[in-house]
Amino acid sequence: MLVASIKTGFKKGLETTWLLAKVIVPVYFVITILKYTPVIDWIAYVFSPLMAIFNLPGEAAIILVLGNVLNLYAAVGAITAVSLAPMEITTIALMLSFSHSLFVETAVTKKLGVSSVKVVLIRLGLALASGIIMGRLGGLV
Amino acid sequence: MMAILKEATIGSINSIIGIIKIIMPIMITLQILKDYKILDRITKPFNFLARMFKTSDSSVLPLLVGIIFGLSYGAGVIIQTANEGNLTKRDLFLITLFLLACHAVFEDTLLLVAAGGNGIIIFVARLVAALLLTYAVSRHISLNENEELIPAREQA
Repeated sequence: MLVASIKTGFKKGLETTWLLAKVIVPVYFVITILKYTPVIDWIAYVFSPLMAIFNLPGEAAIILVLGNVLNLYAAVGAITAVSLAPMEITTIALMLSFSHSLFVETAVTKKLGVSSVKVVLIRLGLALASGIIMGRLGGLV
Repeated sequence: MMAILKEATIGSINSIIGIIKIIMPIMITLQILKDYKILDRITKPFNFLARMFKTSDSSVLPLLVGIIFGLSYGAGVIIQTANEGNLTKRDLFLITLFLLACHAVFEDTLLLVAAGGNGIIIFVARLVAALLLTYAVSRHISLNENEELIPAREQA
């Protein structure tokens, strides 16, 4: 029975890996190419005035854009490069915790039959709301 | 351009290896626990989530996997569960909604703590947001609507 369980689990594991790979690999290629274009910098530039509503400096935009377009690891790397106060880091970390790796993770959730637009709006909405609240609270401390 | 494609290829292979390293042990362990009838006992204490969102008890396992291991792995288990015919379209949507707000709580939280964020605020905020959001939406989707069991494969 144990051998049969391991076999079935192994098969399910392979199926799931194949399914996730089919989704993740193409997206990975697109974002890797995107990383070498000025697009990420442009988006950050456009969004930098918006950072004030989260009580964050304009440079923080690049962290949010990297986290959302690429992944949390890229964002964490950028956090250390921009000098921020501890409260500001928590604000940005909270926003990133709700909304990150949008391309890869949206592609995966699409497999579950949930619309991409809905997924992105929900996550950005949560990031926006939590950023505004945390930014205000941080300003009080 | 060649260098970029090479980076993308190596990166893709590494992420697939990363997936295999996590998904294989999860799937094999879950299957053993399921076959030996232990899994039900582990998920049972969390069945209150299913009652809270009025979803089937089968939705608890993918929810837990997603919360602990992450959205992609949770999605893998969701699809497997759906293929076994145990999830309604409503269940599927509500689990996904919860996991959008709150997934990979250990990995994501630790990573952001390493960057200098306050882990408790991040963890609690995500959990509370996921619970409130899913609860609120669950009251707005009727139970009868989309009641049929659908294999996720059909929609893929």
